Amino acid sequence: MTSLQHLLEEVRNLKPIPAVANQLLEVVDNPDSSMEDIANVIQYDPVMTANILRTCNSAYFGLKHPAESITDAVNLLGTDQVIELVLLKSGAGTFSGRQEGYGLEEGEMWRYAVSSAVIAKQIAIRMKLENKNTIFTAALVKDIGKIILEKYVARGGRKIQDLVKKENLSFREAEKKALGIDHAELGAMIAKMWKFSPKMVKIIRHHHLADETMIKDKEVAVVYLADCITMMIGVGVGSDGLSYRFRDETIRELGLTADDVSLIIADFADNMQEIENLLRIV
Amino acid sequence: MKQIVGVADMKVSNNSEESVITYSLGSCIGLVVYDPAVKVGGMLHYMLPESSIDKEKAAARPFMFADTGIPMLFKTVYQLGAVKARIKIYVAGGAEILDQKGFFNIGKRNYMALKKMFFKNNVIIHKQDVGGNTNRTVRLEIGTGDIYVKTSGEKEVKI
Repeated sequence: MTSLQHLLEEVRNLKPIPAVANQLLEVVDNPDSSMEDIANVIQYDPVMTANILRTCNSAYFGLKHPAESITDAVNLLGTDQVIELVLLKSGAGTFSGRQEGYGLEEGEMWRYAVSSAVIAKQIAIRMKLENKNTIFTAALVKDIGKIILEKYVARGGRKIQDLVKKENLSFREAEKKALGIDHAELGAMIAKMWKFSPKMVKIIRHHHLADETMIKDKEVAVVYLADCITMMIGVGVGSDGLSYRFRDETIRELGLTADDVSLIIADFADNMQEIENLLRIV
Repeated sequence: MKQIVGVADMKVSNNSEESVITYSLGSCIGLVVYDPAVKVGGMLHYMLPESSIDKEKAAARPFMFADTGIPMLFKTVYQLGAVKARIKIYVAGGAEILDQKGFFNIGKRNYMALKKMFFKNNVIIHKQDVGGNTNRTVRLEIGTGDIYVKTSGEKEVKI
């Protein structure tokens, strides 16, 4: 078997993110959907429903009356909060492990993923974009390719680091050169196999802007910028460090300034505690 | 015992049994001060250079910014008996993404803000590990003043 075939085999064996996350995204970013539509999608998955109710009724939310159904939860906590919980719970199992190839201890990749999802959502709200849940989710799962690629990165570790240091390649470019595929491409393959929407596949594929023309795509640009900001903040950053390319045109393209970037970083500090709490309860 | 310095946070200690640690400095700066004569040390983890960008936030979270956080770190260790002339200073962090230029380079701006303040106040940096594209975890042992740096996937190194 070639290493690419090995890779594909591993992709097929990867436990997918629960289908409810996908179905939920189809509903939530459709402006015609009602709260009831959203509750129906979640209720269809009994494990997720039980899981969400347990979290909603945990001390963290301090509800006076326990939520007994998803409809209750939506009424008590708001649609956005419930959607976010479903998305986070969907991703937690896949992303929580240790990723040795990227120098990440258990939980660190997940912390990074959640942080960049929260930042992406912040940017989407600042820019008044409508599909903030898709943007949140795309930022949450964009590094899915790393979960498979990490073993190959671990084996080719020195070679990749040398390419970064001596040839001034970005870590993604070095992955591509050393392994023939980078984590964004592989991530898009996984997303496709899991039947994510074409939009999600596109965002994952381009989240490092390997193809600069993708700057024009607002959703790609927001997820890209959120990733850069998360890298700068440093939470959950691995041995690939900040070795990716920064394209300041993205910020101008989104109609933002360098000061806006600083303000987003400052806002993030306020959300840190909330993120730690979410990581604990999810 | 470990005192953890969060993001936009500061901790000081004069307990020789303690370590003060901050995790994952990207473009943020970890500023460590230590007076060996009285074994007093402290660490600041700030995110941004200037508080003028959001005065309200700076009032609520002074450790978020270089210009509000750095003076507070010094004042707090002085209260524990540290003396400016004896203080050793260590700076880590300020990393940047590849091609992050000019005003967008927050890591470099964070470092320059500190340099400017130190220059004005005649403060000399004892050692530093700044810039580049790696993120760093920094730990100070109060008992010895030893400082350790770790980057992801590597072992902790004493500097």
